[in-house]
Amino acid sequence: MGTQREDFAEFYRGAKDECLFTVLVSVGDRDTAQELVAEAFARAWASWRTVSKHPAPKAWVVRTALNANISRWRRRRREVSVPDPASVADLPAAGGGADSSVNPRIMAALLRLPARQRQVVALRLFLDLDTDRTAQVLGIAPGTVQAHLGRAVAALRDDLMPERQQESPS
Amino acid sequence: MNDDELITMVREQRTKVPMTVPVEQVISRGRAVRARRQLPGLAAVLAVAAAAVVAVTALLPGHQGRHQPGTNPGIELAAWTVVRHTDGTVDVTIRQLSDPAGLQRKLRADGVPASVIFGDTPNAQPNRCQSYGHPELLQRVITPSTAPGQPRGIAIVMTIHPSALPSNAGVQIITSQARVGVHLVAASQACTGS
Repeated sequence: MGTQREDFAEFYRGAKDECLFTVLVSVGDRDTAQELVAEAFARAWASWRTVSKHPAPKAWVVRTALNANISRWRRRRREVSVPDPASVADLPAAGGGADSSVNPRIMAALLRLPARQRQVVALRLFLDLDTDRTAQVLGIAPGTVQAHLGRAVAALRDDLMPERQQESPS
Repeated sequence: MNDDELITMVREQRTKVPMTVPVEQVISRGRAVRARRQLPGLAAVLAVAAAAVVAVTALLPGHQGRHQPGTNPGIELAAWTVVRHTDGTVDVTIRQLSDPAGLQRKLRADGVPASVIFGDTPNAQPNRCQSYGHPELLQRVITPSTAPGQPRGIAIVMTIHPSALPSNAGVQIITSQARVGVHLVAASQACTGS
C-alpha cells in the first residue's frame, strides 16, 4: 500500500500541472479547473490499481475531470433554486489566483479555438499524446486529429505571430 | 518564427499554472470516493449488523446509540459516522439529520472546532456563529464527497482537514430546508466551544 501511495504521489507531482492546464484550456476558469482536476486525481487514487496500468493515465485524469464538469453542470441546473448555506456564507473574496506567469495572449488565443481543436491541442501538445492515442481518446480518426491540429496551429499563428513580428525587428 | 517555435511557445505555458492542492488532500478525498463506492454493497450487511447492534445494545445501561468512549471510533452504525485518521484528517458521513449535539461533541473530541445545527429537528438551536474565511480556504479545510446541498436521504460524506484551519476558525455543519451546508465560522466559546 505504501508503494502504491508513493507511486501515486509521484504520478500526481509529475502530471498535476499539465492536467490542470489542459482542463483549464477547456473550461476557462482556474478555480473550476483545479477543483475538477483534484477530484479526477482523487478518483484516480480510488482506482489506482486500474489507472496505474492505463496506457495514458494523464489522459484518463483529464477525461475524468471533463466528464465531472458535465455532471456538475447538470447537477447545478437541478439545484439552483435552493439556498446553500455554504455558498451564502463563503462567497465573498474569491478573486485571487491570477497567474502572472502565464501569457494572457496565448491563453486568449487558445480559448478562441473551436472546442475540438482545443481538445486536440491539449492532448497533443500539453499531454504529449501521439496522434493515434489522441484519436482513441477523442473517438475520431488519426487523420482528423492531424487536420484539427493543423488548423489550430494556423489559427494560433494568425493570432500570435503579429505580436512576435513586432517584438523582433526584421 | 516557424511552426515548431510557435508550438514550443504554446507548450511552455502548460507548467505555468501550478496546481496547489496537496497530494495528501487528494488521497484523503480518494479514500472517501472509494468508501462511497463500497457503500451500496455494504448496505445490506450494515442493515443486518445495525439490527444486531440495536438488539444487543438496547440491553446495555446508558447506551446512546453509538459506542462508549474509549472503543474503536471507526465503527458507528448510526445516523452519522466520524473517523479520525492518523494523518489528522477526519472523515464525516451523515446518513440522517439526527443528534446534532452528539455529532458536535464527537467532532470537537476529534480535534475539530465544530458547530452542528440540524435546524429541521426538534433539537434545533439558534446559530451563535459568525462566518469566517472564503471559498479557497473552505476548499482546503473541507473535501466533500457529496456536494453540500444534497437532498436528505443520501449520505453526505466529507473529509475535514483540521490542520488547514486557522486557530481562530472552526467548521459549521448546518441544515437549511433539509439540505446540509458546510462552512467556516469564527471560533468562539458560544459557537465552536473554544
